[in-house]
Amino acid sequence: MLSAIDLHHAYATGAPPVLDAVSVTIEKGDFACIMGRSGSGKSTLLHILSTLLRPTQGRVVYKDMELTALPEQDRNALRRTDFAMIFQMHHLLPYLTALENVMVPFLAGLRPVAAKARVRAMDSLARVGLADKADRLPGNLSGGEQQRVAIARALARDPRALFADEPTGSLDTATGGEIMDLLRTLNAEGLTVVMVTHQAEYAALASRVIHLADGRVTRPA
Amino acid sequence: MNPATIPLRNLRRKLPRTALSVVVFALGIASVVALGHLSRVAGDSLERKMTAYGANVLITPRTKTLAVGYGGLSLGDVSFDMRYLPVAETLAAVRSIPMKDNISVAAPKFALLTTVAGVPVGVVGVDFPSERGIKRHWQPRGGYPASDEGVVAGAAAAAALALDLGDPVVIEGRTFKVAGVLAKTGSEDDNVIFADIGAVQKLAGKENLAHFVEVAALCSGCPIDEITAQLQTVLPGASITAMQQVVRQRMDAIAFVKRLALSVSAVIMLTACAMIGLAVFSSVNERKNEIGVLRALGFSRSGVFMLFCLEAVIVGMAAAVLGYLGGAATAGIVPDMLESGAAAAFAFDLGEFALTFAAVSVLSAAAAAPPSLGAARLDPAAALVSL
Repeated sequence: MLSAIDLHHAYATGAPPVLDAVSVTIEKGDFACIMGRSGSGKSTLLHILSTLLRPTQGRVVYKDMELTALPEQDRNALRRTDFAMIFQMHHLLPYLTALENVMVPFLAGLRPVAAKARVRAMDSLARVGLADKADRLPGNLSGGEQQRVAIARALARDPRALFADEPTGSLDTATGGEIMDLLRTLNAEGLTVVMVTHQAEYAALASRVIHLADGRVTRPA
Repeated sequence: MNPATIPLRNLRRKLPRTALSVVVFALGIASVVALGHLSRVAGDSLERKMTAYGANVLITPRTKTLAVGYGGLSLGDVSFDMRYLPVAETLAAVRSIPMKDNISVAAPKFALLTTVAGVPVGVVGVDFPSERGIKRHWQPRGGYPASDEGVVAGAAAAAALALDLGDPVVIEGRTFKVAGVLAKTGSEDDNVIFADIGAVQKLAGKENLAHFVEVAALCSGCPIDEITAQLQTVLPGASITAMQQVVRQRMDAIAFVKRLALSVSAVIMLTACAMIGLAVFSSVNERKNEIGVLRALGFSRSGVFMLFCLEAVIVGMAAAVLGYLGGAATAGIVPDMLESGAAAAFAFDLGEFALTFAAVSVLSAAAAAPPSLGAARLDPAAALVSL
């Protein structure tokens, strides 16, 4: 489904590489975990796979498309349709309600949100168990609820793959466990999940684990 | 929910800052609107006042002249075929031109060269009400004649003829009474005696005729050449001369007032725009993570650019409405406060309001463009790494 081939990346010319000859493959329906210490290149790899970042060298192929060669607008379009992201912090817009936050991806085309899209956003909130808190502002939700709203936002456009950058990193163990359960449920429903984590207990739940150290894959999946 | 929801909600969240931006921008717009109105009013007022100090168009009968000179010495022009203007018809024609509203005063004159008590003197027949309108700098001691039996003596003429208020003065066999003596004006008016034009015409046997008519035209927004051309059309037998220097001086003075107002307005608007630009710049810096998230959700660079510009435009639109209304109110109050006597009611002009609204919206977008461009160019991955 998604292949990274011989990725190299450095954030500046002459700077030490963050990724060095990294090749990984994610299959449809995988729950893949990218593990490694801080600075190992986990987030950089996730950003390259999700089209947020172009590698200095190498290719990413998705559905026979070479993502690294796609023009900017096609990469943006892919993030609106096939790919979605969640982060360590929920990063909801604090001035919008839970439902409005979930509807934000529908504004990417700078058009008013259609009634159908609103229904989809509401369904998405229901999917993460927060339909009854649709009108609440993020500040009135718990940390776990905020992260679930972020997941609902990611799911609103029915993506093929979800890229999660340490989604449990800022949550307590119990809440983190709930988020993991939710991600596993979504994966079981057919969503491909690629998650960055440094917590071995979560990686143990994954169908594929990619270990990174100093920008290199140390243990192939 | 629509694309304006994000900037609107963000503005509402930062209400004190938004309010401050709107108020400061509105103050700038109000200053510009008020200055614009005041400069127009002051220009018109100045023009009226300047018009009161003299004519700017001269209507004379078309006469044939012959340049006389001999041996390299010019002896000037000699008129033959002396002609006159019919007063009633000429005044009626002047009042019939398309730009008749721009005609302030039309004052006919009949000049008579005679002797008074053995002293050669010029007697100029004038219509005193019209003459007062055209020469408001006149300050006759005693006042103006109440009937055609009174005259007003120029300062030098009164001195030469030893005339004082109430003295009789015999002109061509008719006795007049000195009703007023002019203070020195430094012009030709000092040397002559002014009498009622009807009386002078009668003395000369030229009733309803005048040597020339002086016209004071208001020229704000109307070229004097056009008025001259219109007068020439209705008075084909007359010679119409625009006193260009006078007109130019008036127009220059008015243009200066307007240029000054424009310069001050430009400085105010530049400052307001810089403030809007800084506010957006600060907003971009504060919301880098939000920009990263929006890009991750599929927003394009242009989408992010539009959101930030829209925020500035919303502030600009609110400021335009408040500023225009504030400017209108200020324009009504300031002339009274300055006791300038140039007050004119501010008339709400929908076209002007729409223009202000559009111009301020464009200016706000232009001011917000550089920081918004910075937001659009922000590398989403870098913004997310900094989260």
